[in-house]
Amino acid sequence: MEGKELMSHPSPFDHKPDTELGDVLRDLLTPEDEDPFVRGVVAASEHVYGEAPPVQTFSVLVEWARPGLVAAMLLLALGAFSLGIWVGRTGAVAEATLGDPLQSDMDQPSVPALMAGQEEPDWDVVLAAAWGR
Amino acid sequence: MTHMQDAELAALAQAGDREAFGELVARYAAPARRLARTILGDPDDADDAAQDGFLSALKHLGRFDPERPFGPWLMRIVANAAGDRRRRRRVREAQPLSPVLATHEAGPDVETDRQRFREVLRKALGGLPERQRMAVVLFDVEGYTHREIGEVLKVPEGTARSDVFHARRALREALGDWKEWREKS
Repeated sequence: MEGKELMSHPSPFDHKPDTELGDVLRDLLTPEDEDPFVRGVVAASEHVYGEAPPVQTFSVLVEWARPGLVAAMLLLALGAFSLGIWVGRTGAVAEATLGDPLQSDMDQPSVPALMAGQEEPDWDVVLAAAWGR
Repeated sequence: MTHMQDAELAALAQAGDREAFGELVARYAAPARRLARTILGDPDDADDAAQDGFLSALKHLGRFDPERPFGPWLMRIVANAAGDRRRRRRVREAQPLSPVLATHEAGPDVETDRQRFREVLRKALGGLPERQRMAVVLFDVEGYTHREIGEVLKVPEGTARSDVFHARRALREALGDWKEWREKS
């Protein structure tokens, strides 16, 4: 029966666990009353916990939270960076939209005018023209 | 807590979380008891040793490296606890098997046949050197790698591999003899 099945795997060189041999050994060695054993060990652990106070929960949580904190900081930095770009753009658009109430549209630099100029235009003027459009 | 990793449970248990420790015990009770039985034979001694191992592990959770698997680390502690208990106590020996075999009568009693098979296996396992017993159980029952078994047994990986090989061969020979004897009877 069981022995016959075992003999169907004659090589002891196998690098993988022999499930059949493992099953009969497990059947031989495994006790049935697991729950009482677990309860007994947990009850006995009270003596261990009572002997020496365990390490502070906070320190353990900090230890475990360290990778999480780093990730959160990175996300925060990325978020702040993105927000900064967005705010900057929004501000620029608003500024360009509002413009200078004392300045007429004719005073705004135009691209054709810049192209027709004899001299190289100032870089700030080019940028202002671009934002204005 | 059943979804948590061993290392997380170990950290919580170290911080005083009894429930986390209980979950670890529940997860490893069976392999720890099997390993202790492999070493000691007697079930009561084995359970005491397994409990000693769990409590010792609890005391030394600070030394556990969460980057490594918890099972082999615990099994090593359990093996040490069983070894200590074996040295302190005189372990009761199992009943000799030969009288049982001598009175065997062929018949359809499957349960009796199963019990005899278990006795043959128990005797074959008990006849192996302790390290080979542990190696074959850790490999074929618990599914640990040769490297992990080497860590548990404190021997090089190649030695663990050799132990598994010799144990398997001896077990197969014994079971083959049993099969041959059974066919004759």
